[in-house]
Amino acid sequence: MEYFATELLTLLFAALRSATPVLAVVLGEAMTQRSGVINLGVEGQMLLGAMTGFAVASVTGDPWLGVMAACFAGIALSMVHAILVLGCGANQIASGVAVLILGGGLSAYYGTPFVGDKIDTLGNLNHTFVSDIPLLGQFLGPITPTVLITLLAIPAISIFLFRTRTGLRWRSTGESQDITRNLGHNPVHYQLAAIAFGGLMSGFAGAALAVDYTANWVEGMTAGRGLVAVGLVIVARWNPWYALPAALLFGASEALNLKLQSWGVNISPYLLATLPYMIPLSVLMLSYRGLRASGGGMPAGLSVVFQSAR
Amino acid sequence: MKKVIRTLLATSILAISVQAAAETKVGFIYVGPKSDYGYNYAQDQGRLYMEEHMDDVETLYFENIPENADVQRVMERMVRSGVEVVFPTSYGYLDHALKVAEKYPDVHFAHSGGLKTSDNLMTYFAEIDQAMYLAGVAAGLTTGTNQLGFIAAHPIPQVLRNINAFTRGAQSVNPEVTTSVIWTSSWSDPTREAEAAEALISGGADVLTGHVDSPINYVQVAERRGVYSVGYHADASQFAPKGWLVGAIWNWGPMMVNIVNSAKDGSWKSEHLRGDLLTEAAKLSDFGSAVSEEDQQTVLDRREAIMNEELQVWAGPVFGQDGTVIVEEGDTMTLEETEKMDFLVQGVQGRLK
Repeated sequence: MEYFATELLTLLFAALRSATPVLAVVLGEAMTQRSGVINLGVEGQMLLGAMTGFAVASVTGDPWLGVMAACFAGIALSMVHAILVLGCGANQIASGVAVLILGGGLSAYYGTPFVGDKIDTLGNLNHTFVSDIPLLGQFLGPITPTVLITLLAIPAISIFLFRTRTGLRWRSTGESQDITRNLGHNPVHYQLAAIAFGGLMSGFAGAALAVDYTANWVEGMTAGRGLVAVGLVIVARWNPWYALPAALLFGASEALNLKLQSWGVNISPYLLATLPYMIPLSVLMLSYRGLRASGGGMPAGLSVVFQSAR
Repeated sequence: MKKVIRTLLATSILAISVQAAAETKVGFIYVGPKSDYGYNYAQDQGRLYMEEHMDDVETLYFENIPENADVQRVMERMVRSGVEVVFPTSYGYLDHALKVAEKYPDVHFAHSGGLKTSDNLMTYFAEIDQAMYLAGVAAGLTTGTNQLGFIAAHPIPQVLRNINAFTRGAQSVNPEVTTSVIWTSSWSDPTREAEAAEALISGGADVLTGHVDSPINYVQVAERRGVYSVGYHADASQFAPKGWLVGAIWNWGPMMVNIVNSAKDGSWKSEHLRGDLLTEAAKLSDFGSAVSEEDQQTVLDRREAIMNEELQVWAGPVFGQDGTVIVEEGDTMTLEETEKMDFLVQGVQGRLK
């Protein structure tokens, strides 16, 4: 019984670790899309954040400065999307893809001198009171700061979005820009803030990967997780609370893939490697049965993006 | 039109300046970034060694070239810009290189790890599984749980050779040892590699190694979790001051210099050139403090035995995962057989496909 509980908790916390960077991006992208803007460039922003965070941590020796620099790098690159989309009225899908490729290229180019550097990590909860809790202590101890910050972001975003006046206008902008305009506000301001927030969260997610989790920078190290996060926004129905189970679903399938292999389960590793994509996809399909008419909570303003793309 | 003329002018001026220098141009093509701190990094270190040790050589390189027709275009471009020796360094470049080599019989091609040659295409590689075998010996002597963990990218012969050699080395000093393999299905996915390391450690493995692009990720997790690690491709000892045992690393420089010299002086042979521990193309890194003096000596004695051919990594009996005999006692696998390896040995846990 205790063995079973230990294995289950190991898996759960492994899922949380894998899910954290994705969760941060889902939260940011959900907020961006809530204002009626879709940004496919988050993967590129993550990469630039990861590289910048790692580089700054390596040069200054302070990983926290690295995390902050990563957030700024994410915001800076997201502003390219903002200028193209809000300033020039460019197609959002095309602009997002451009930002994605730009982030990959910039991070590869400027990251080269830092490959193989060794940086200090942010530490974890070991040697605090939580690591003394019986049974759970051994799992809570290794938790790192980016996991906690990302989890705390959920209630913060939720309160902002659903309990504040600014949050209401943010949402109304996503439903219909005309409403915001009729109320005497400029929807572009909200969309700009929303893109910047998405940039901040994806930059932070990059830092969670490079500065906190792996303490390493490798070209293209996000390996598609940013794009997965864009998909998971739909699974989470643009709701910060649902973002947690959606991201955990991905994290758990990722952890399960590796865990099953380490247990020596007799399933093809090729098949297991599809788990992180198969499971969220299945959940998406199942959970959206009957939701077609309502769009599953999609901000109405988003549909314009796809109409304009035709 | 003006632009085209300008470009043409610029290229011809460039070509003239190259002629004037009378240097041998050597071109390298990498499948990934040269800064991966792994396979491509090691090849590029060879290029830098060549720049440093040969006065009359100029090198150029292309990174991130996929293993498809793109690489043919890159090679053609290199040849047309005056490259005389081409190093297509990735396994999947072989057939493309053969095609381009046929078209340009005066240019020399040296492919990394292939098993086909033509008049002007030779292959080079190194039997790094010898070093992995020795690292396995160190791991087998060190482990307390008798469980080793191996983080592997894809089930291709080179990876299987390393998993099997590592396991056989460990078994040679500790018959109880088993190796658990986790496939990451990617040459470079740091997050998944770190998580695979966590899974192996929580499953009981206390020595980790791997064959992915960069050893840094799993080595750092091992250090954090207080277990031992064995590196691959490049020395990562600085990332694990406590738990580092030893690593199997490449040293392409001298071999590449010899290849280019042979192309220049006409002694070029169309052959499968294979380096080993003796020629130091594949090396054992320095030991970490976690390996006792006595154990280090055991490993070094084995190294001596491999170098004077008393010990063969692939001498029978070799048993498959299910216990079937793959190599009979008294037989030894040939180079072709090891380079086409498609099985896991007894004591390895994990599925091949």
